Amino acid sequence: MVIRHEFIEKNAFLLLVLTLVTIAVGGIVEVVPLFTIETTVEPVKGVRPYSPLEQRGRDIYVREGCYVCHSQQIRALRDEVERYGHFSLAAESMYDHPFQWGSKRIGPDLARVGGKYSSDWQYAHLVNAQSVVPESLMPHYAFLADTPIDPGDIVARLRTLRMVGVPYTDDEIANAVDDLQAQANPNADNSALLKRYPKAVTVPGDGRQVTEMDALVAYLQVLGTMVDFADPANERLRQ
Amino acid sequence: MADLALAPELVVPIARPAPDYNEAVVKKFIIAAVFWAIVAFLVGVYLATELAWPQFNLGLSYVNFGRLRPVHTSAGIFAFGGSMLFGTSFYVVQRTCRTRLFGGEALANFVFWGYQFFIVMAALSYVMGYSKSQEYAEPQWHIDLWLTIVWVAYAVIFIGTLMKREEPHIYVANWFYLAFILTVAVLHIGNNLVVPISVFSSQGYSMASGVQNAMIQWWYGHNAVGFFLTAGFLGMMYYFIPKAANRPIYSYRLSVVHFWSLVFLYIWAGPHHLHWTALPDWTQTLGMAFSIMLWMPSWGGMINGLMTLSGAWDKLRTDPGLRFSVTAVGFYGMATFEGPVMSIRDVNALSHYTDWGIGHVHSGVLGWVAFISFGALYYLVPVLWKRGGLYSARLASWHYWIATLGIVFYITSMWVAGIMQGLMWRAYDAFGFLQYSFAESVVAVHPYYVIRLMGGLMFLIGALIMVYNLYQTVHNKSTEPRLVLPAGLAVAGG
Amino acid sequence: MDLDPSDLIVGLLMAAFGITGLILASGAMDNEMYVFGLSLFGFAGLFEFGLIRRHFDRLDAVGAESRRHG
Repeated sequence: MVIRHEFIEKNAFLLLVLTLVTIAVGGIVEVVPLFTIETTVEPVKGVRPYSPLEQRGRDIYVREGCYVCHSQQIRALRDEVERYGHFSLAAESMYDHPFQWGSKRIGPDLARVGGKYSSDWQYAHLVNAQSVVPESLMPHYAFLADTPIDPGDIVARLRTLRMVGVPYTDDEIANAVDDLQAQANPNADNSALLKRYPKAVTVPGDGRQVTEMDALVAYLQVLGTMVDFADPANERLRQ
Repeated sequence: MADLALAPELVVPIARPAPDYNEAVVKKFIIAAVFWAIVAFLVGVYLATELAWPQFNLGLSYVNFGRLRPVHTSAGIFAFGGSMLFGTSFYVVQRTCRTRLFGGEALANFVFWGYQFFIVMAALSYVMGYSKSQEYAEPQWHIDLWLTIVWVAYAVIFIGTLMKREEPHIYVANWFYLAFILTVAVLHIGNNLVVPISVFSSQGYSMASGVQNAMIQWWYGHNAVGFFLTAGFLGMMYYFIPKAANRPIYSYRLSVVHFWSLVFLYIWAGPHHLHWTALPDWTQTLGMAFSIMLWMPSWGGMINGLMTLSGAWDKLRTDPGLRFSVTAVGFYGMATFEGPVMSIRDVNALSHYTDWGIGHVHSGVLGWVAFISFGALYYLVPVLWKRGGLYSARLASWHYWIATLGIVFYITSMWVAGIMQGLMWRAYDAFGFLQYSFAESVVAVHPYYVIRLMGGLMFLIGALIMVYNLYQTVHNKSTEPRLVLPAGLAVAGG
Repeated sequence: MDLDPSDLIVGLLMAAFGITGLILASGAMDNEMYVFGLSLFGFAGLFEFGLIRRHFDRLDAVGAESRRHG
């Protein structure tokens, strides 16, 4: 073995090729089957793409680094399920580009935070977390309420998401700007929005301009709500 | 030759004069590494302060924890660690191949300045609120593309130098540097496949989603540790420990086994970041099994590094730089035992999401990565700037003890905090209800966050002592100049 | 003028990067792309200046050597 290794050490190209082959194996074995084995992501009734406002809010969640303190993945462990709700299914993050499962809990897991608190609570908490949770370590995000969202690029965002596999329909893309504005306006007629995006939560925006805060709250309020675990169709999912 | 303080009969011609090495680019990377180390430690200390007292977030978007954390991780891993790797790899590959760097001065300068540009642009983007949220791969697509270009240039220089070498054998340190360069390239491209919404926008979306994205991210993330922070720095160890101890590496055969088993096994470890999640069971099990197996080549490397001191242990008393390197190998052994333990699913059920993970990371990056870098710096700076030795061995000693104590405070406080969190989250009271609210666990770990801050502060102070010492080594006239003979000559018997 | 091939290749690439930066900044849809584009242009400009300066410094050094020994 030692004599043969000398042969590799005297040949830079051989060393390069053998190293590349060696490091490729593990990645291929662990990654490729996740795309080819169908049971990796079992389809679940209720899971849908994010509405334009929710997606816009998600993009804010991603860029602000919320995943640094909050996870979005309830593990299949008894105490965790009791604290946060049903353990997270692969299907629930199938449209998450990128995933936000997180790796640290400086704050609680948010996988099923949707509907747990009122939208007013969410606004207050984001502006000054310590005003509703005195022990909180969370920074203040009041600046989000002062930043309007330019709906100009929402179509480009949804189109790109469609390119990477999120099944937005032409109808949804055509109505993206209207849906975005309607979901942040409590006085608007939201029937069309709800038909396209069931369970989308309308947030109490001021009706004149949509802010980044509105978008983030819309996103937080849908988290974990899409799948109805009480529905008989999902019976085999219940623990 | 009257200006040489050596009797003429002691100066002899040597068969092959040393080539004209490109040391300018090495010096640039060394200076950059020291600068970024201070930046990384400073931001780390500020983050620790924010966690202990959240008022320090100041209500400002630019300095809040969420935006600043990737600045710290990027500064530590890529700016400090990366500059050390670039600098030492360029130094080591030239000397062990006995040839000047391939590609010319312009390409080497492009790699240096291009990499610094990447670092600055990435950090600026995070602070402005443009992270893409993939850990250790936060920059958006266009900054990633720039890094790819710089990395290709780096690979061209390194591989080109290997190919034009004057020494027939490729020294073991270069196998590790090569594996680091190649694997990081593959990982970077694999994990950063993003479609931008427009070429004029920094916003993009990852091609993969959900569970597949998670697996790819941790294939990348764990191997950023395995190849950037481990294989590359092992290359450093394999050169600077034998050099400083003036002994050969303990075992050639062990080097061979160590190298191939490490680079093969490491790649599989990723899933241990995803235990109990929606990642399939088979993938989690593979990740766990290979993470446990990984303990063996890691300790093989540790043994190889430590046993190189055999017959030269007394040097630890007199050479503070060597003390750093050897301690680094000790911490490496510790961290590569802790890692496999935490990869066991039932241990992970407690440790995941807690501060134990933070403790583990910092025992690795402070104890192994930073310490082996300090050892290399204390050796290299006098050599590169042609000084006889360090300005002050005593100051280096102070650095060592303050930094080591700092690490001990850091990791023990995080162990206690992490295990406490894990136990509190799963505690049930006598009636069968969860005993603690999440907020109660936050309050409980506050004192340990303060201790951790103290540990980090000590580490920073130690590094500042090093900066002063290195600066004086270069500039202070009292440091003995190193005897530099004209090309083609050497000291007889030296 | 005898150009080091390394200087030429890197110099041409840098020019391309500089122009790319300007184009990106001109059409930028967000602040970050704008800052990146302008910075890339500035970086390329400074780097080109460095390449040219080193080229002529090298020529001057060789010229001084030959005049000393000639």
